[in-house]
Amino acid sequence: MSVQDPHAGSRPAPSWGVRRFTPSWRWLTEAMWWVEHAFGRARADARPEEDTRVRIFVILSAFSAVFVCLTLGAVHAALLTAGAGAGADSHPNAVVRADLVDRNGALLATNIVHYGLYIDPAQVWDRRAAAAQIRRALPRVSRTRLQTALYGDRRLLVVNRLTPREKVAVHNLALGGVSFEPEDVRVHPLGESARHVIGSVDTGGVGLSAAERAFNDEIRAAGARGESFQISIDLRVQGVLENELAAAATAAGALGAVGIITDVQTGEVLGMASWPASNSRNLATAATYEMGSVFKTFTVAAAIDTGRADMNTLLDASEAFQIGSRRITDFHAQNKVMTLEEVYLHSSNIGTSRLSTEMGPRVMRDYFERFGLMSRAPFEIPSEAPILPGEWSDSTLASLSFGYGISITPMQMAAAMGALTNGGRFIPLTLRKGGRPDVRGRQIVSPETSLTMLDLMRRNVVRGSGGRAEAPGLRVGGKTGSANKSVNGRYSTAHAVSTFAGVFPADGPVNARRYQILVLIDEPQTYPRTGGFVAAPAVGRIADRIAGFLGVARKADPYRTALGDRIPGFEDLEGDGR
Amino acid sequence: MNPAVATLNRLFAWKIRGIRWIEIIGVLLVGVMVFSVYLAKAGAAREGARISELERKISDNGQRVRLLRAEVARLEQPNRLEALSRGAGLVPVDVHRQARVENLPTLAPIPEPGSVVIAPPPSVPAAPAPEVER
Repeated sequence: MSVQDPHAGSRPAPSWGVRRFTPSWRWLTEAMWWVEHAFGRARADARPEEDTRVRIFVILSAFSAVFVCLTLGAVHAALLTAGAGAGADSHPNAVVRADLVDRNGALLATNIVHYGLYIDPAQVWDRRAAAAQIRRALPRVSRTRLQTALYGDRRLLVVNRLTPREKVAVHNLALGGVSFEPEDVRVHPLGESARHVIGSVDTGGVGLSAAERAFNDEIRAAGARGESFQISIDLRVQGVLENELAAAATAAGALGAVGIITDVQTGEVLGMASWPASNSRNLATAATYEMGSVFKTFTVAAAIDTGRADMNTLLDASEAFQIGSRRITDFHAQNKVMTLEEVYLHSSNIGTSRLSTEMGPRVMRDYFERFGLMSRAPFEIPSEAPILPGEWSDSTLASLSFGYGISITPMQMAAAMGALTNGGRFIPLTLRKGGRPDVRGRQIVSPETSLTMLDLMRRNVVRGSGGRAEAPGLRVGGKTGSANKSVNGRYSTAHAVSTFAGVFPADGPVNARRYQILVLIDEPQTYPRTGGFVAAPAVGRIADRIAGFLGVARKADPYRTALGDRIPGFEDLEGDGR
Repeated sequence: MNPAVATLNRLFAWKIRGIRWIEIIGVLLVGVMVFSVYLAKAGAAREGARISELERKISDNGQRVRLLRAEVARLEQPNRLEALSRGAGLVPVDVHRQARVENLPTLAPIPEPGSVVIAPPPSVPAAPAPEVER
């Protein structure tokens, strides 16, 4: 409160204040002095009451304005701010990485809190006893590490990634100076099963390989929402594939093996296995093979699609096909003029060589590109590039027509077979459940060609080289492939690759639900080494076991009853008693 | 002066022990407001603590659920189940011993209980008729 001063109204502001401040501040100091001297002025003007009221009113107004602002702020914070409230800003079940689950919700990978074990030596009473007890409760702990921590001079990490059970075991020892710190660890409870599909994660929670890497951002986003992330794999199908593949590969004494099961209409991969599972290399994407006669499917499809041939076209396989100095013969020579169907069923090198040289390099190359055989398979897991021929001479065309001179990954083969059996649409394979939404199928052959190929493949199982792939009532179709491997620049008959690319059910309209099974056995040691003996039986067993999971009912078709018995009429009709 | 305004002025100026009653009421109201704000804040803090506790429990339970699910996944993995099944002598069911619900009426009927006639074992296993004959 200022002291009353009747002369204050006429007194000038103190000179020091005015001089120190710049002119822009002068009005402020003058206003302050004006307020300070208002009481005196009012008395001088004989209005003392008004002066008091003015002051009270000014102060009241100022406080009211402040409180109104505070009230508005409080109301805004309480009612209008989104996400208010304790802990509501993050999901209580949020994790760094979402659980990875299969298409039915079965767990493939999850995050579990593990613990790091720390020891502060200053708080340990009896170090020798503590060491003995910890080693008894936790046998995997390193002796030197434990000693270093116990006899050190500061708190040290002894061992990390303790499971909750191990933590309880150590905790129950009730030792002083022992403490735990939680750490989030990615766990793959299936062990080696499906490891090539699931992939791995580094300690920072970043995906390193396979699905964990391909969907890294989406898995982390789903984790923040407390949700799971589904991939296209069906764990039951995957399990059957792995077991049957391992059985077939072990029985054949093979070097390696690959199995891929896909939904041909969506491009979803339902199962993908690489044997041996202990090998971290995924042979489905990281290895290329010359696959042999499976390629006859592509040659025949190209011939049918271009209109150069139909099922009754005759091709002379009565003698070897001569290209320059090269003589092309058949493995099981029939020495006769064959229809296109017979060429396919007898897997005639002569027949397909004639077709490919007739079509010429431009057409063959065009169709190989359409089937995706000339470039890396578009897939979430990066794969090897195919090894392509350097030139497209007649001799090369003949080799290509029966699967030599070009090495592709099993993924490429699976995608191409899918395209041939789904109505002619090339759909990139994917691990994304429901297929890739951003990709539309590319029409590469006509639906009629696709239907013809389905029938040919079915006939090949009924009466051709793929007979051992038959599964009762499931209408399996497919093509065998047997190729010698190139060892030190020469094809060795002792090193073979046996393949069977199957599809089931092979009947019905082109857009029917249909599944493709590819089994490739690398270097089987048993005889015969052909795909029909080594790989085809595995495909038949796999189809038989997964049909129930996929909802494929057993039915009869023109060739077999629902129980797999022959329908004699068909055999008589064809006049072929083989 | 208007009598109503005069009454209001008198009321406003009414004092109890030298203090205007309206100021006493004002102070009382402020006291009530302060107390109610305290109560509201204390209640909110209690609720907040409860929410945090529940969320901690949810998180703990979530962790346990994750642990148990991982354990279930490990125990139910197809490789392990198949190894156990093969070890127990189990094999995939033969196609002749499979039937669908629709085919139940076509299967061989169960013999009447108490029947004295011992029928010879059927030479053909019970099987569903093929659905489609084309």
